[in-house]
Amino acid sequence: MSEHEGRTIRRPYIRKIAGVDIMFDGEGFLINPSQWTEDVFLVLAQEAGVEEISDKQWMAVRFIRKFYTEQGKSPLNHHMKIGTGLSLAELEALFPGGIKYGVRRLAGLPDPKGCRKAVGWSAKSD
Amino acid sequence: MERQERLIYLDNAATVFPKPAGVLSKMMDTYRSLGVSPGRGGYDLAMMASDLVMDVRERLARFFGSDDPERVTFAANASDALNLIIQGMMEPGCHVVSSRLEHNSVLRPLYHFQQQGILSYDLVKPDGQGRIDPEDIARAIKPATKMVIINHASNVTGIIQDAQAIGRVCRNHNVPLILDVAQSAGLLPICMREWGVSAIAFTGHKSLLGTSGIGGLVFTSDLDIRTTRFGGTGVDSESLVHTQSYPHRLEIGTLNLLGIIGLGAGLEHVEQLGLDVTRTKEVALAQRLAQGLTEISAVSLHGPAGWDNRLAVLMTNVRNMVPEDVGAILDGDYGIAVRTGLHCAPLAHQDLKTSPQGGVRFSIGPFNTIEDIDAAIFAMAEIGKNK
Repeated sequence: MSEHEGRTIRRPYIRKIAGVDIMFDGEGFLINPSQWTEDVFLVLAQEAGVEEISDKQWMAVRFIRKFYTEQGKSPLNHHMKIGTGLSLAELEALFPGGIKYGVRRLAGLPDPKGCRKAVGWSAKSD
Repeated sequence: MERQERLIYLDNAATVFPKPAGVLSKMMDTYRSLGVSPGRGGYDLAMMASDLVMDVRERLARFFGSDDPERVTFAANASDALNLIIQGMMEPGCHVVSSRLEHNSVLRPLYHFQQQGILSYDLVKPDGQGRIDPEDIARAIKPATKMVIINHASNVTGIIQDAQAIGRVCRNHNVPLILDVAQSAGLLPICMREWGVSAIAFTGHKSLLGTSGIGGLVFTSDLDIRTTRFGGTGVDSESLVHTQSYPHRLEIGTLNLLGIIGLGAGLEHVEQLGLDVTRTKEVALAQRLAQGLTEISAVSLHGPAGWDNRLAVLMTNVRNMVPEDVGAILDGDYGIAVRTGLHCAPLAHQDLKTSPQGGVRFSIGPFNTIEDIDAAIFAMAEIGKNK
């Protein structure tokens, strides 16, 4: 943690998952999305409170990975909707953490870095 | 996979969209016939382009109640204009008064130059309704205060400051008041001379109905701003000293002629519509939205009560949801575009207690309809179910 103008900002960190050192940003997103594997997903999902991955969850995550691998960029909202056949509201309910900290983060997409302060998600981040 | 066609655009505080067709066609038509370098040649077309630019300067000076069209400086946007004036007026050891409502276009330059040891600053805190007490400004002014910079209308809550009262305070202390009118220009009358405002920083792509990439600084004839960028002006080319006469003093390189044409056309459109008419309509829609959202238990509204001194901006959140997810659902499921997060105004969000994640901002523009607002209320009610 560091202080900047009185605000706490979480630094990037490295964790070993399934024998591999993986670097996460301060919000718990993979810094290098190519380090994502299904083993990494299972560990992160379990930490988020998902005991068993449903078919729908696998389908959504695999669509996102395929899109990212083929297009080299994260799917937009309408890509996610059409590609998964789920509404954004359904995607929001799919994982703890919702769309951003749930489905996008667990699928290993880069942090969208929106106009807000970086706050951590993972319980085992430091 | 194509983006769905239907879009309800409620992000007008970021950029007014769409632009009037007349503005876009005027830009294309004029640029097609006159798209040369203004002020860079003696041929007729270049002179005509120069005249067009000067005409827009004159109209802007009139529109903002200033007195000198040569002190209308074009810049890329309001942030660019604010950087121009902050850097052009600061001196080592000087002090600046501003507020916690400011956009990063002010907060970041001030912080940067404070870190460089060049200036110090104090940020006045607004009251619970987001209003800045002019007496707080007076108390913050020191002998070394070189300028006061205040946001005329907040991009977070829409609250409008009493620029005239703040101007009086600044005039009494002989300190220039710089008004950031990024949100208010084109919606509120601005009378620089009458109010005691020494400079305004504006952008063209919001309620002035121009395009992105054009904005500027308008300042009164008793204010001088140092040159902080240097280059070609088309004037005194034999000299290595940057041209010191206005408007060249603060402008470098070929002007954004296409943007200036659009700004002129946008200004014409704004004046034809009438500032009061546009603002009244937008605020009426905002009131309808606020009323509808108030009835949804999972939705919280942040900001001042009432609409008398406010633009049509509404900051909200949905219980147990991060704002970005709300924005994603509004976009993906309902075709509604809003802005989420901190809106480049982190301290305003701190004071609203919406930091660190910020909020979901609905900002209404001149082309929104009652149907747009009702669709937004319906969507938020659906999102808020079971939250």
